[in-house]
Amino acid sequence: METLLNIDGLSVDFRTSRGRVKALRDVSFPVRKGRIVGIVGESGSGKSTVLWSILGLLADNAEVTGGTVEFQDHDLLRLDEAGLRAVRGEEISVVFQDPMTSQIPVLPYLRQMADILYRRKGMSAQDKRAAAADMLRRVGIPDPETRVDAYPHEFSGGMRQRAGIAMSMLTGPKLLLADEPTTALDVTTEAQIIALMRQMRTEFDTTIVVVSHNLGLIAELCDDVVVLYAGEVVETGEVHDIFHNARHPYTRALLECDPARIEDVSVRLPVIPGDIPDLTGTLHGCIYASRCQRVMPECHTIAPPVAHRGTGIAKCHLLEGPLADPDWPPPVDVPTVPRNAGAPVPARPVVGEEPLLSVTDLNVRFRTMGPLRARLRGVKSPYVDAVLDVSLSVRPGETVGLVGESGSGKTTLGRTILNLLKADGGAVHFDGQETSAMAERQFKPRRRDMAMMFQDPIGSLSPRKSVRALITEPFTIHGIKGVDLDIEAERLADMVRLQRAFLARYPHELSGGQARRVGVARALALNPRLIIADEPTAGLDVSVQGEILNLMADLQAEHGLSYLIITHNLPVVRHIADRLAIMYLGRIVEDGPTADIFAAPAHPYTRALVEGVPKADPDRRRPEAAAIEGEVPSLIRRPPGCDFAARCPRVQDTCRIAKPPHVEITPCHRHACLFPLPRTTTDWEMP
Amino acid sequence: MSASRFDPPPQSDAPEALGAVVFMDASRESAHRERREKLRRFLTDWQGMIGLVLVLIFIASAVFAPLIAPYDPNALDIPSRMSPPSWVHLAGTDQLGRDTFSRILHGGRVALLIAAIGVSVSLVFGMALGMIAGFGPRWLDNLLLIIFDAVRSFPTIILALATVALTGPSLGVVLAIVIITTIPSYARVARTATLALKNTEFILAERALGASTPRILWHHVMPNVMGPLLILAAMEVPVVVTVEAGLSFLGLGVLPPQASWGTILNEGYLVIRDAPWMVVAGGIPLILTTLGFTFLGEALRDIFDPRMSRGR
Amino acid sequence: MLAYLVKRLTLSLVVVALVLLLLFSMLYMIPGNPAIIALGTRASPEAIAEYSARMGLDEPVGMQFLIYVGNALQGDLGSDVFSGRPVTDVIGERIGFTMALIFTGMTWAVLLGVPLGCLSAVRQNGWIDHVTGILSVGTIAIPSFLVSIWALLIFALQLRWLPAIGAGEPGDFADQLSHLILPAFAIGLGWVGYLARMVRASMLEVLGEPYIRSARAYGLSPRKVTGYALQVAILPTITLIGMGFGGLISAAVFAEIIFSRPGLGKMIFDAVSDRNFPIVQGGVLVATGFYIFVVLISDLLIASLDPRVRQSL
Repeated sequence: METLLNIDGLSVDFRTSRGRVKALRDVSFPVRKGRIVGIVGESGSGKSTVLWSILGLLADNAEVTGGTVEFQDHDLLRLDEAGLRAVRGEEISVVFQDPMTSQIPVLPYLRQMADILYRRKGMSAQDKRAAAADMLRRVGIPDPETRVDAYPHEFSGGMRQRAGIAMSMLTGPKLLLADEPTTALDVTTEAQIIALMRQMRTEFDTTIVVVSHNLGLIAELCDDVVVLYAGEVVETGEVHDIFHNARHPYTRALLECDPARIEDVSVRLPVIPGDIPDLTGTLHGCIYASRCQRVMPECHTIAPPVAHRGTGIAKCHLLEGPLADPDWPPPVDVPTVPRNAGAPVPARPVVGEEPLLSVTDLNVRFRTMGPLRARLRGVKSPYVDAVLDVSLSVRPGETVGLVGESGSGKTTLGRTILNLLKADGGAVHFDGQETSAMAERQFKPRRRDMAMMFQDPIGSLSPRKSVRALITEPFTIHGIKGVDLDIEAERLADMVRLQRAFLARYPHELSGGQARRVGVARALALNPRLIIADEPTAGLDVSVQGEILNLMADLQAEHGLSYLIITHNLPVVRHIADRLAIMYLGRIVEDGPTADIFAAPAHPYTRALVEGVPKADPDRRRPEAAAIEGEVPSLIRRPPGCDFAARCPRVQDTCRIAKPPHVEITPCHRHACLFPLPRTTTDWEMP
Repeated sequence: MSASRFDPPPQSDAPEALGAVVFMDASRESAHRERREKLRRFLTDWQGMIGLVLVLIFIASAVFAPLIAPYDPNALDIPSRMSPPSWVHLAGTDQLGRDTFSRILHGGRVALLIAAIGVSVSLVFGMALGMIAGFGPRWLDNLLLIIFDAVRSFPTIILALATVALTGPSLGVVLAIVIITTIPSYARVARTATLALKNTEFILAERALGASTPRILWHHVMPNVMGPLLILAAMEVPVVVTVEAGLSFLGLGVLPPQASWGTILNEGYLVIRDAPWMVVAGGIPLILTTLGFTFLGEALRDIFDPRMSRGR
Repeated sequence: MLAYLVKRLTLSLVVVALVLLLLFSMLYMIPGNPAIIALGTRASPEAIAEYSARMGLDEPVGMQFLIYVGNALQGDLGSDVFSGRPVTDVIGERIGFTMALIFTGMTWAVLLGVPLGCLSAVRQNGWIDHVTGILSVGTIAIPSFLVSIWALLIFALQLRWLPAIGAGEPGDFADQLSHLILPAFAIGLGWVGYLARMVRASMLEVLGEPYIRSARAYGLSPRKVTGYALQVAILPTITLIGMGFGGLISAAVFAEIIFSRPGLGKMIFDAVSDRNFPIVQGGVLVATGFYIFVVLISDLLIASLDPRVRQSL
């Protein structure tokens, strides 16, 4: 098979104020024509740097210190600017990570696309317009003839990404580079974009290179896989080989840590301990040695040999050479990353009967415009209902997962429960008392019982306060006397397994994981009974997110805490939540025991979510028809009937008339659908 | 040697730390290095150093003027009037025989006074108003914005002229005008910084803990707003000093015989054909002071907000 | 766009109203009979009576304000204390000179400063960048009135290249032009440096944005990419130029006084010394109104170029 792009020995350094960072070292892999290649790596792996090196668009402080990138008989690294420009956009094109920031805001799409076609001297303005509209149609944007004149900010996130794909495919490039193309998108949109990219490959015969940290995306989309760790290629191979029989310990560990691949929810989540090494220092031996689950003394000093298997390679002492271990790698179901096999999983505390937190018919609305403007524009009701008739409860010792995509209102709900936002209807009861109607003065003591962990670990810490000050601040705020704050700070640091030396640090000196622990410590300071955690694993690599989740589970066992976990991450929430509540456009569409919901979802949206998560198993790719069409409607234009009607594959006319009421299947499992999914069908049957 | 960054529970089937994991605590090290790097950049920033030196000269010469000045600034010496710069009179003499150099030094005291009072009062009020506008209710924000807009709609000199028409010229007028016209700048910076902070998660986190609004403003908003304000203050000093000089030049501020850089220029302008060195001498301290504070402000901004720097 | 226009216009009118309020209340801060202040101490009792009636001095203060505003809107800003001529006439004679000065000054500053800033950003650390950097610091460091004085000294008095005083012979365009050169140069100089720096900073910031990288990745020519960047970077620059007119007006006042050039600024200045209060009030009103108008135009210009602004309000 012909090789379209060949990367050989690519090495890139970055000159930073911390020193010279060796971001990529001797990276080599081929990209074969017609295939989809996935580059997998976590933070610090250098995967995006590879893409930018291909195009010659590295930052100013980057320096290519070696290697070649061969494309159509040219070495792209040696090409001058004019030569590169001829290649960019025409032969090689890019899809960017964040459609919100990667499209110029002041020009309409038509103009941007016409500019991309500037090399087509023979095309007139009408021709270019037709081509642009045609491309928009092919990526699934409705009404392309008119939408082509729109500005980027007039499109939603998913639409913007589609437009981005349209712009990159406009010239019919031979090679398409995709930098985390779905990271900024919702699960249901992600599924659509995956299908779209496969379609583009077939229609245009384009070779694609995808960079991502999302194993599910790689498994769904790619034919070949390259695994990067801390700037080096540790393993390559065909996608089935990698996912079913990974040879490098890192790849193996990565796959084992992915919660989507762990069937048994009762075990602790495995974690790869440690952190990537400091890339500014001198590096000896195997790059993964400091964290490897099978490390040997020689690994720290001798560089590992390259072991071939078919078209793939892996660099590990265990595979070849004098240290080779014939029993490595063990079969897939044998875990290599330790999970405290010896230590028992902490028993879940006995869940009480009376709910600790009880939300009843809660409504939260936001004003969209002042009364004057509403009158001028003839808008009768200038409100959006961010939370609509929501009821849910959390019992002592229980973990409830609140699941939804962007715009579902889950964060608003969390904040309203804590009286950070005002409720416009319904009630919140905590420990038997109605807290939603309380004034702040009355509610303040209750804040000791209800704490919150925020999504942005470093951003949620006041930048000029030390960790010690931050952890002990709850004591000061609530005027608790008679405590030695230093002792309390140390006690809390120990509880969250944060080294005491960190108490003197400032937020910008912490890593994401450390900052999250500080967040946990703050939440725990006054012995709360309920913790509301907003996206506890956001921004954490898969290999380390288990740390925080295991910590939370341990704390729950020790202290009898209850959790309300707000997240969009289904594989994670499946492991940690006893019950789930699924939100769509401000309403709860289904809630019940986690296992039931995953095994047999009743609401079509729940099924779309559950099946929308890309599976980290290339043998289980979903048929393209499984992707749900459309996008979440805007809160401003809430449809009168069921909110999901416009996208539901099972929709009937009655659905559009009124909002479906909540119906109980079993006493603890409710849904809000007029035509729920039958309870006895298997996964893949379509209605 | 040192253990890894946190202590994972002892693992029965994992290898012990043979040969120990020497694990560099990456984030603290790098934070240290960043701090030292910032200090190094500040000290090697020749512009910043020049600025610092000029600022110190300005302050020192103003404070110690009575000691350094060779002559009494108001001492008349008619026989020597209108003499060009010489070793006896470094900057020459004016039409009344007063030594221009000494007058310049004493003029610096006026400048320093205006700068010190003007900037500090404006900063405090501007910061307070800006924080209130950013943090408070929307209607208050809109109201304050309109008031600021109205104040800023007056070109400085026009406002000065209108005020002097009512009250007559004096140093107090200059001070008042300077303060009133610069408060909106500080308020705008404070407001922008406050708005940026208002919706960050850490303010929300503080509210979730139960912190009251005054506490949040004092402990959490203000320290983060101070930085840009201090940089602005450094850049505003030359503005303030220049406004004073300009108004005094027109006779709307400090009045003769009080020595101020503006009055020196005024007197120099009157004899510009015969004694041109006066306007040159009177202008140089203004330029040096402006340069000094501008360089210093830029250097400070480079350190604290490197995105906006000249790009090294 | 229309909604934005309406909102913006309303805002400007509110500001104008506030300004009028301030000016009006100034009259009441001076001790003494407003009529005597307005007309001068030599005014006759009949004139005083007529003025009191016209301005409604016996009415409650609120009413007086409305009358004042009403008069102003009709173009009646009072009369010159000494000559008795309507203030509007006096202003009308001078305003042309001031406008010529201001616009010439800003134009040359923009024509030189914006391209320099743009080039400095695109060829960062090139020789243009360094030279521009030094020049801009130099020109910003010198206060504008000082530039006027020194320009007068060097070019008019020492070198005698250009005239020192006045606006030139009426009707003689070349002569008027020669009288315009020095003052316009003086007030624009500081702006050249300032604009160059601001444009440079704005361009650098935009050039670092992700969408510029996208444009390069699509293979667009460097000129096109710079064009994109300029289109975004120009927006804050327009705001700056609009707001800068205030400083320019101040600088123009100094320039008119220093070069003895007839204009609005000199008119107000002389009137302050003479305690010719209606002239002061009228002049301040016109100057301020002009500034508000300029800021309004610049905001509308930005709205027409940046679609996001149109939506936000």
